[in-house]
Amino acid sequence: MTEQYFVQQRGFHNIYNDDGTIWGFQFKMCTLYYKGLWLSQFRAGDAIVDGVVYPKETLIWNIQGIDYSREEMYDRMDQYWQVADTATVKVPCPGGLKQGYHTVEIQFGWICNYNAALEPDPNGNTLGIMGPYTRMSTAAGSAHPTERRLLLVW
Amino acid sequence: MSEIKKGTPKRGISVYSYCRLLGYTMTLDDVFEDMYDAGATCFELLANHIENYPNPSTQWIDHYFHLCEKYHMQPAEMGHWAETHLHRGPRMSDEQILANLIRDFKLANLLGFKSLRTKITCINEYCDPEPEWEHLMELALPYAEKYDVAMLSECHAPTKLTRQHIYDYLEFADKHQTKHFGINVDFGTFQNQWPEDIYSPEEMERRRSRGYGKPDSWSQPEDIIPILPYSKTCHAKFNYVDENFEERTIPYAKVLQLMVDNGWSGNLVSEYEGPGREDAAFLGDQLRRHHILMSRILGY
Repeated sequence: MTEQYFVQQRGFHNIYNDDGTIWGFQFKMCTLYYKGLWLSQFRAGDAIVDGVVYPKETLIWNIQGIDYSREEMYDRMDQYWQVADTATVKVPCPGGLKQGYHTVEIQFGWICNYNAALEPDPNGNTLGIMGPYTRMSTAAGSAHPTERRLLLVW
Repeated sequence: MSEIKKGTPKRGISVYSYCRLLGYTMTLDDVFEDMYDAGATCFELLANHIENYPNPSTQWIDHYFHLCEKYHMQPAEMGHWAETHLHRGPRMSDEQILANLIRDFKLANLLGFKSLRTKITCINEYCDPEPEWEHLMELALPYAEKYDVAMLSECHAPTKLTRQHIYDYLEFADKHQTKHFGINVDFGTFQNQWPEDIYSPEEMERRRSRGYGKPDSWSQPEDIIPILPYSKTCHAKFNYVDENFEERTIPYAKVLQLMVDNGWSGNLVSEYEGPGREDAAFLGDQLRRHHILMSRILGY
């Protein structure tokens, strides 16, 4: 089962190369939206860990066992990301993260034309028209809605 | 003039109510058991609650029918989306859109649903449709008839039942003399109370910015009367039922009485959208209260 958080605790660890060096780290995330998304509706942004920005262009998104870049997802209108399923975000970071607590944030949104104007940016370079970051301008919103403090062991 | 025979709506639940729980702390088995306890006899399932949608395994389908049988539950409505912009740039081709719709019609037919909550692409918060909606629905209609599913467009707050596009949809159904296109009335359109103990000032500010809660921004109960012949399933939206089994935001008694008096016998599926949806015990309690509320008005 999935945790009721955007960023999941389960699945947070470094990723090791065959020779024992560390390629980077990974964590899992969930949209917490009430419905699933076709991958082409998803808009991926940067990962921010302990204040360090890991650019969106470098992240690998593993959904239902398949790795995608941000760009590759735009064209996958045939691949459904089931509601409450997690994506694993793989972050290249030679040497990885140290054992201990880390503050993990992942920026994302989506395009669903259900009760709002159509996407203003046809290039798909934004975080979409819906999602946790579209509420930031309201009093109820937070600048870092997906941020979560997680303990990394290895 | 003969008297209209009183309607006998079926009481059901939309699995949407469990959207913060299903897959997190509850399984589909848990959800069916909870719906059964509340007294529901039919249900709405969103397409994304179908495991491995749009290609569920035969094992999942078998288990789904097992749950329907075990809990004496009839499939009422499948919520799906008539997507037209799944790629960047201009809208998808007619062929692409139609292929996705036919895929969903077949799936709904396979799973026993007669109603679809078909979400037509909208261009604003009042759900005014994209201009090509009529052309696309004309393409889809023969297939909806073939697979015997009614495409129902939801009238959801802050949209009122008197908005132009609702009349346009009714005209479309008349023009094509079809029962396979119509409206799902979401009772949120009647919401005329915004109690401060349910909605925090921040939440109210957010809602007002999206058109909710402004004077004259809700439908009147009587507005539902001309819609009823075009509706097989409605979302019995609710935001809080108190311990006296009164819903505090929507004039339930009036709306349900009008439906019964006007001979409506469709599916009423409870849709909880108030605070606390992440708490299975709280939600289960609300759904039970809501069904007591409806059963006391309906008399069964």
